[in-house]
Amino acid sequence: MQLEATELTADELALQREVREFLDKRLEPGTYELGLGMTGATDPDFSRDLGARGWLGMALSSTYGGHDRTAVERLIVVEELLARGAPVSYHWIADRQSGPSIQKWGTEEQRQKYLPGIASGELSFAIGMSEPDSGSDLASLRTKAEPTEGGWVINGTKIWTTGALTATHILALFRTSEHKHEGLTQFIVDRNSPGLTISPIPFIDGSREFCELSFENVFIPDSERLGDIGTGWAQNTGELVLERGGVDRWMSAVTILEHWAADPAIRDNPLALADLGSLAAKEWAFHGLSLSIARMVDEGKSPVTEAALVKEMATRYEQDCVEAVLRHWDRAPDLTSDDPHEALLARALLVSPSWSIRGGTNEILRTIISKGLASA
Amino acid sequence: MSSEFDVDPSLISTVSQFFSKKSGHEVVVQAEAEGLLRDLWQATEELGLPLVGVDEEAGGNGGTLLDILTIVKLAAQNAVPLPIAETHLAAWLLARSGQKVSEGPSTIVPGSPRDTLALRAGVLSGIAYDVPWARHVDRIVALVPDETGSNQVVEFSPASCVVTPGTDLAGQARDKIELPDVAVTSAASTISAEQLNERGALVRAAQIAGGLEAVSNLTRNYVGERVQFGRPVGKFQAVQQHVVVLAQMATMTELSVTRAGRAAATRPASFEVYATKLVANENARIAVRAAHQAHGAIGMTQEYRLQQLTRRLHAWRSEFGTEVQLALRLGAAVAEAGTFARIATDDNNHLEV
Ligand SMILES: Cc1cc2nc3c(=O)[nH]c(=O)nc-3n(C[C@H](O)[C@H](O)[C@H](O)COP(=O)(O)OP(=O)(O)OC[C@H]3O[C@@H](n4cnc5c(N)ncnc54)[C@H](O)[C@@H]3O)c2cc1C
Repeated sequence: MQLEATELTADELALQREVREFLDKRLEPGTYELGLGMTGATDPDFSRDLGARGWLGMALSSTYGGHDRTAVERLIVVEELLARGAPVSYHWIADRQSGPSIQKWGTEEQRQKYLPGIASGELSFAIGMSEPDSGSDLASLRTKAEPTEGGWVINGTKIWTTGALTATHILALFRTSEHKHEGLTQFIVDRNSPGLTISPIPFIDGSREFCELSFENVFIPDSERLGDIGTGWAQNTGELVLERGGVDRWMSAVTILEHWAADPAIRDNPLALADLGSLAAKEWAFHGLSLSIARMVDEGKSPVTEAALVKEMATRYEQDCVEAVLRHWDRAPDLTSDDPHEALLARALLVSPSWSIRGGTNEILRTIISKGLASA
Repeated sequence: MSSEFDVDPSLISTVSQFFSKKSGHEVVVQAEAEGLLRDLWQATEELGLPLVGVDEEAGGNGGTLLDILTIVKLAAQNAVPLPIAETHLAAWLLARSGQKVSEGPSTIVPGSPRDTLALRAGVLSGIAYDVPWARHVDRIVALVPDETGSNQVVEFSPASCVVTPGTDLAGQARDKIELPDVAVTSAASTISAEQLNERGALVRAAQIAGGLEAVSNLTRNYVGERVQFGRPVGKFQAVQQHVVVLAQMATMTELSVTRAGRAAATRPASFEVYATKLVANENARIAVRAAHQAHGAIGMTQEYRLQQLTRRLHAWRSEFGTEVQLALRLGAAVAEAGTFARIATDDNNHLEV
């Protein structure tokens, strides 16, 4: 497998400068809660400000409030956001995944209804796929959508739905027939639908992004069905490139490394410098990998295996980043520390095992990669 | 996106077919026993390969840095037992100091901290260690300080040295040479020892990239054919993991070499080059282990191809920058700049390593 080298064009560099200038003012250090990559804080005001600048829904069509921009341009914006640990959670899923899915598979009515709100940062989406008995084997899921007058009735449970408490919508995958893969259909679910109960599941660091969704006779109008009945699985696999090959898979710990690199104490510590140097070389390499994948997407290719290949090693690299910094701490970092960097490091220590689970576990990815390599 | 650096696909396929035809297992075994195979060198030279990447005015064959990196990578994929990388470094150094280059296998004194080579009034003396291919080549090129401390490029024949033969881990010549007061012609160098080391690091990284790709493909094919428990071992997830790791290491290294080469062709790029060598070294370490593990006992034998590749990977890892040296230098540069994120986001991070 080979990826093609590519550099940013003059226009792309200009966009990068513009984003930096804006973020330098909008996110002055100390004025916002530092995040770990894509799980930065939830701040709808910030998301709306980004939307107003045209930096959400970038790849969506301007017909629907998007900006007709490229995957590389989105990568530039996202890299700058994650480099600062920006509060991106409110818009993250919608911007990365749900918007492009709705544009691709949705009806004209759905596009007009949702895409402008995604691009402006008004709408927030969560992903309703996993269930208590269906994790890696997602196609075994059982939450049912049964046809009724004018729409569908949903019964069942979704779990691990990140951000559902603050989301306005959930893009959910339900069973519409008994065929394993062809029996799955995606729906856009209003978070306030009667019969839908959303309860947080406290996460390992005490945060409350993880949710359980209980559907009791929830009615969804047929107009909220995404694409043809039974095409949910195919839609999902199509969007995996967006979910997996991105910079969010190797930037979760970058705020921690940023702080560490600036610590004068490490300058005289050869062990620390060697760790830092080794991580920096990989950081540079991963940027190249993501940039190449984004360029391929812009060229109309679908680098599914490549994206999985990168995610599987990038998430291990992120975990290495956290471990390297911790190796040079003389005690366990305190989650309740007044020093936001120490608290962030403690959080990273606790949550970093999840980086190689979410979005497809590394074990599952390895199977996908090896199938992809065999058929290449 | 196409770019000025794209290597002509017909060059790639010609060179790739040539090396894979000419450098099979037996040929590599023969070279290990006999040294430099002159016929093979001749054939490679007839295609004009060793002097690609050196200007035609200087006697080279023209072409870009990316072209020669590709050639060196394709040679490494086939464990080609020739000093193509070394000849390139020698020719590049000569050309950059305004000298003419000529045909024939050459090598470069890589510059070990123990070296004592010095030029005094046109007379070269001293010792250099770990000079690849020294006893087999037509000429040895070195960057040495003169009495004023400025760097001079000198060129001499192995016949004028006392050579103590040695071998690298791949069984290729790696000699100690001693110069007993030899009169040489010299030219002032515009290239520093550091720049030579950087070029060497990039070329070795390209070789590692080629070696990794070959090891990755060889392993993937092998586990698809080797049957145990009634099925190809590649059907076992634990074995698939090795295959995946190998593909990751190969892909990452190859892309990094190309990016670093493109950067180095246009501007100072010490960060990119040394980051690439470090990535290549670490990836080689991981890949060698995975490839051998997936092969079982056959991979440990001399009769099987794998060791011709993995022993070369060991050798290349150890030259022009080892892991700790590189990591320390990169780390110091990053700490000095005080920022980590810019390494990822900036195409040109302006770091000096
Ligand atoms: C932080 C975080 C956020 C998440 N957010 C969301 C979300 O927003 N929406 C959503 O729908 N889901 C979400 N998930 C769920 C995520 O998609 C699942 O955790 C994941 O798909 C794995 O499923 P599981 O946890 O049930 O593990 P299981 O599938 O039960 O796996 C347990 C172990 O067995 C291994 N395993 C399973 N099958 C195989 C196999 N065939 N071969 C080899 N090994 C195997 C797994 O790799 C793992 O190591 C989130 C998860 C995390 C950790």
